[in-house]
Amino acid sequence: MNLEAFENRVLPAKNKLYRFALRFLGNEEEAKDVVQEVFIRVWNGREQMNEVQNWEAWCMRITRNLSLDRIRSMNRKQTQPMEEAYQVRHHDLTPHEKTEQHESMQRINVLIASLPEKQRQVIHLRDVEGYSYNEICETLELDMNQVKVSLFRARNAVREKLVKINAYGL
Amino acid sequence: MDSNNLNELLNKYWACETSLEEEQQLHEYFRTNAVPEHLKETAALFHYFDENKKKSVGDAAFDEVVLSKVKAEAPAKAPKGKMVRLVYNSMRIAAGLAVVVAAVYFIRTEIRKTTPQAMVDTYDDPKLAFEETKKALLMISKSFGRAETEAKKIDLFNKATEEVKQKETNEL
Repeated sequence: MNLEAFENRVLPAKNKLYRFALRFLGNEEEAKDVVQEVFIRVWNGREQMNEVQNWEAWCMRITRNLSLDRIRSMNRKQTQPMEEAYQVRHHDLTPHEKTEQHESMQRINVLIASLPEKQRQVIHLRDVEGYSYNEICETLELDMNQVKVSLFRARNAVREKLVKINAYGL
Repeated sequence: MDSNNLNELLNKYWACETSLEEEQQLHEYFRTNAVPEHLKETAALFHYFDENKKKSVGDAAFDEVVLSKVKAEAPAKAPKGKMVRLVYNSMRIAAGLAVVVAAVYFIRTEIRKTTPQAMVDTYDDPKLAFEETKKALLMISKSFGRAETEAKKIDLFNKATEEVKQKETNEL
């Protein structure tokens, strides 16, 4: 793979990788750092790339591993910075709508951040990135059953909490 | 999509039985329609997913930074030529063999030191060796001869004592 192919094929995946890293790290700068590192690894390992069937899943796996390494090395709670870091930008809304929407975004954000790690990864890949089950299996190196069970648990945990919020305004 | 369809699809969604296309329909629905009050939080969830998908690195210089870093990385090592690889591999094999030979040599000398050797040749010339052997055998036979004469004396003494003993018993 030459630089041009790298620029045209691999680099455009940056936002996907960034969002995935952000899901783990909850910090934009850290996530950006991780994505940079991923690209450098991919570039250095480009000889293997011909053997890789699905290079996007490969990149995602590297992103996940580097993000997890980073979390481990920092030895910190993931949920804490995540809550602060997710700043959802809104335009063209009245200030009232803005705060209301912002609040519900924050709530959901905290809710998803509190899911177990595997469930969080699966729900992110499925509902945010729109991955097929097969793609999720390949990316996370899980079997189909585990993926489906994780997604089911994740969605239902989210639903349960949403219902509670709706009913009691918690 | 009417509300029955929507409810059915949502139920399928919660049960994880929707296809990607159906999930896209749900996203589309919540993006464009005003939703009933009881689905407000569900709509917010889908809105959250959509918003998250919009997130991007957002740094115009990001590509440049990555590309410059990538360029700065050492160029991938060119695959070594066939000859180089052949030499390299044979050197490795040779090194392995050298270790084995050295080990065998040292073990052999060690064993030789600890166990006595059965035979060591001392003469190269067979005639000389024969003479030396003859000399040695003669020496042995001479010694044997002398030993025999000495032994005869002892024998005489033994006979004498026996005779004395016999006479003593006869007298008794």
